Amino acid sequence: MQAQSIYIDHPSALHQLNPLTKLTFTLVFLVAAFALPNAVALIATFVLILVPLAASGGLLLPLLRSAFWLVLPFAISLALIQGFFSPGQTALFSLGPFTMTLEGLGSGLTFAARLLLALGGTLLLMLSTRPDKLMLALRQRGLPESLSYIVLTALQIFPRFQERARTILDAQKSRGLETEVGLLRRLALLVPLIAPLVLGSIVEVEERAMALEARAFSYKTIKTSWISLEDSRAQSILRAAILFFGVVLVYLRLTGFWPQ
Amino acid sequence: MNSLKKEFSTFTLVLIPVAIAINIAVGQLVLNLKLPLYLDSIGTVLVGVLIGPWAGAATGFLANVVWTFSGLFPQAMAWAGVAAIIGALAGVFGRAGLMKSVGMVVVAGLITGVVAAVLSAPIAAYVFGGVTGSGTDAVVAVFRAAGLDALGANLAQGGVSEPFDKIATFLIVWAVMLGLPERLKARFAAE
Repeated sequence: MQAQSIYIDHPSALHQLNPLTKLTFTLVFLVAAFALPNAVALIATFVLILVPLAASGGLLLPLLRSAFWLVLPFAISLALIQGFFSPGQTALFSLGPFTMTLEGLGSGLTFAARLLLALGGTLLLMLSTRPDKLMLALRQRGLPESLSYIVLTALQIFPRFQERARTILDAQKSRGLETEVGLLRRLALLVPLIAPLVLGSIVEVEERAMALEARAFSYKTIKTSWISLEDSRAQSILRAAILFFGVVLVYLRLTGFWPQ
Repeated sequence: MNSLKKEFSTFTLVLIPVAIAINIAVGQLVLNLKLPLYLDSIGTVLVGVLIGPWAGAATGFLANVVWTFSGLFPQAMAWAGVAAIIGALAGVFGRAGLMKSVGMVVVAGLITGVVAAVLSAPIAAYVFGGVTGSGTDAVVAVFRAAGLDALGANLAQGGVSEPFDKIATFLIVWAVMLGLPERLKARFAAE
């Protein structure tokens, strides 16, 4: 069974990179998202670095589409809330007692740009890396096997649980459960919906634990993996270089090199 | 360290992914029922109460890793620390015997909710610019209009919604535990 994720398979150099290299890219995009001083620098990083990287992996459209729908609700909230309620001098227009200011709107949109770069950097990793390969790479660097087992198993089974939740909802509805009722009644509804889901799955847990034990799950030895990862000297130099760049960004931010 | 090892038996390692899947499935169900709650930590609280604080913390943290990976909610990673503390608190309250009467369950939910609100507010304020990109932003706007700054408004919003959410979560977990087969209850008592 495949882990459920937004990974898109594509024959590209980006996909071939060691997952650690891509994780390093993402970490530095996250650092840059909060270290860069203004919207121009943020958008420039997104357009000049992130977009070409995604395009090289054939992931430009999925990345832009996902990033757009993720950032849009934030951008709307930020523009309205910061625009009206952040301090500013230049009034744009008034709505009742509140005035939208240019400075407020600007700070809201700068924050939206930070989220765009941060979420875009995260999406790049998720779209181009199979979760099991990322977990294997981390395991080779000392991540406990149990943690990687938990993450990968959860990714495999959660769609089945969503399915089961829908089945239970339908079953209870067919027994006459009213879901179009007042708020308090709907809250009370949750128990007959959640209890079968949770109880049914906990009973299964014991069986699965025994099945795993029968396959030497907790036996302490080095287990080989079905999948193999490529790594190279060039990639480890690249990782070090990107990390150094990230440290420089943080240094510049902390020393106030950039005007606020 | 010993209690850490003891909590992570094979049974626990199999239970945690199931708990994470429950978090996701119930979270989506609640969205479909249009309830003003999240209820996305039922599995986390369940593991904390049944197994212990370490297992609860691991469930909360990894649940957010899984939310991020699944592509359903990539920003979840930012809240992983808060989720871990919610799971740890559930474990502590379970050990302290707070899951025995309705009154105590409500108190445990209330405390967890207040802690979650206090820890979440700085993340919303400084990482996300004071918004969450969801319907609760209307509440944030009301508090900003009343003169609070970004941190204050997010603290107030969390203070309004988190305790209700966590009390409901703890009550549901308590109701579910009442329905556990005796055989399994005995097993958890032994862990």
